[in-house]
Amino acid sequence: MFEQEPAPTALLFAVFGILMGLSALFSRAAQRIGIPVVLVFLVIGMVAGTEGVTGYSFDDFGFAFRIGMAALVLILFDGGLNTPMMSVRQGVRPAAILATLGVVGTALIVAAAAYLLGFGWPEALLIGAIVSSTDAAAVFSLLRGSNIFLKRKVGVTLEIESGSNDPMAVILTISLASAAAGGDGISWWLIMEVVTQLGVGAVLGIAFGHGGRWLLSRARLEAGGLYPVLTLALALLAFGVPTLFLGSGFLAVYIAAVIMGNGPIPYRSGLLRVHDSIAWMSQITMFLVLGLLVTPAKLIEVAWVGVLLALVLAFLARPLVVLLTLLPFRYPMREIGYIGWVGLRGAVPIILATFPVLMGVDGSDTLFHVVCAMVIVNTLIPGATVRWLTRRMGLTSDEPPPPPAVLEIQSTQILDGEIKSYYINEASAACDARIADLPFPKGSLAILLVRGKQLLGPGGDTILKPGDHLYVFFRPEHLPFIGLLFGRSEDD
Amino acid sequence: MSIRSLLTEDVIVSEMTARDKKSALAELCDRLAEQRSDLDRARMVSVLLDRERLGSTGIGHGIAIPHGKLPEIEGLVTGFGRSREGVDFASMDDCPAHLFFVLFAPTAASRVHLDALALISRILQNPDVRSELMEASGPDNILEVIEKAEKSLE
Repeated sequence: MFEQEPAPTALLFAVFGILMGLSALFSRAAQRIGIPVVLVFLVIGMVAGTEGVTGYSFDDFGFAFRIGMAALVLILFDGGLNTPMMSVRQGVRPAAILATLGVVGTALIVAAAAYLLGFGWPEALLIGAIVSSTDAAAVFSLLRGSNIFLKRKVGVTLEIESGSNDPMAVILTISLASAAAGGDGISWWLIMEVVTQLGVGAVLGIAFGHGGRWLLSRARLEAGGLYPVLTLALALLAFGVPTLFLGSGFLAVYIAAVIMGNGPIPYRSGLLRVHDSIAWMSQITMFLVLGLLVTPAKLIEVAWVGVLLALVLAFLARPLVVLLTLLPFRYPMREIGYIGWVGLRGAVPIILATFPVLMGVDGSDTLFHVVCAMVIVNTLIPGATVRWLTRRMGLTSDEPPPPPAVLEIQSTQILDGEIKSYYINEASAACDARIADLPFPKGSLAILLVRGKQLLGPGGDTILKPGDHLYVFFRPEHLPFIGLLFGRSEDD
Repeated sequence: MSIRSLLTEDVIVSEMTARDKKSALAELCDRLAEQRSDLDRARMVSVLLDRERLGSTGIGHGIAIPHGKLPEIEGLVTGFGRSREGVDFASMDDCPAHLFFVLFAPTAASRVHLDALALISRILQNPDVRSELMEASGPDNILEVIEKAEKSLE
């Protein structure tokens, strides 16, 4: 009865709808008990997969690879859009070293461990390369989605590192897998290849970023809903074109997004929300599909190897590499320790692990399951302890809690005026002042006061109290002075 | 209100040596505390740092106006500093800060505090004033520039 269209399509949609819905619903419960959300998606996929409860058989590695790449591009793009330029300036140098030399170092240490566990060098090196990058999706969702307010420098280093280190892992994996499949040795060309990929990716990423910025500030589209279509197109282009020209598309798409996100964007909040939503959807889909590929029986068979390697990664490779890379940048030991611990792995290794399978590398199925086991252990051992550790090590920042209400201007045009919210802290000059006494520049206005759950229309006699959130309307050129009165706005 | 009347040559550090935020604030507070025995230097620095934590008071164009509240003072206490090399102050425009107005207000005088901040930033808004302050030969000259700039605002 399910053989004639549209029945098969309908069935597929229904099944996938249930899986996606479950993933979204479970995410809240998972966060409460401290399990990384992504693991829930993966497990749901596994349960539904090959030998799981539905009996639905899925082993299309090519399809999974493509879905994974698409998801990764969209997640990186969203991450880039939300990265303030100020963070980039602060964190770019240490993060760049971590994302290149750090990745190679991690790969080599894990490869050595895999060799000791009985893998041949080609497979051992592949495993090392596959798990060598931290996962942007996992780190972004952990840092942004769980109310952890990390100290700026630590958070910035982790985010920029995770956004920019996938290219290196991808390049290493693809080159090593090609070498293993072709039976060739690993040549010194690899280094040239890495340099070319990073160089072309960076240059084209910058070009697409500025081009996109120019386009976004000039283009007048019919409907607000068309702007995300344009940015989505830019994301796909920023990945596709550099990749065709032998550059790293992942690096390019991240760089392009950072540049665009820091420029003027029409319909900004709406657009960012669309991309946020797309990133979540990509994440769920990606983990579900990857989960479907996993054969639980096979996973259990290689679990011990995966666990051992994951422990080497968490306790030896990552901390050691972070220590060596960050020491010259004079990070305090506590922060080095923390960054070393929070090297979350996520979907990237699993996507990369499908690559040797596609290339037909010998033993790649075992390799795929070892990597899956490593990722699962990794999301649990550093992953589940991150929130606790952040508090324990005193690395939470003093940044104020977000206001319970958000007020913003939505417009498809770029306007000459801003609304920003300011948290009233005892140390700011405006604290305990009457609204009428605030020396606002001409054209500025306090428009809304949020006090606890109360929304107040700020009158002249209203006195600002610590803990208030005040929304102020002003012209862009007055931003520095308003900042002098209140401190940094809550949106920055 | 007049900013000039709050300043004397003794509270002007015309050649600051500090290169980073913390030591710049300390250098400015040191000078104020030398002049006023009733002021506690360490507390002044910590009050300024508390404010900096909310966001830098480096408002760009090489200007920084670190400020805070002190319960023990009766009126405004202010000092001025100039650094030719520039101080990394995490300013809003990411450029080093060269001209510093440090300001303390009594806890219960938020209006005076706010007005003084507004006045100082108006004075420094003028690019000519900023370059004259950078070129001024010493504390007496700096005071003259401020006096002239304040008059031209009226």
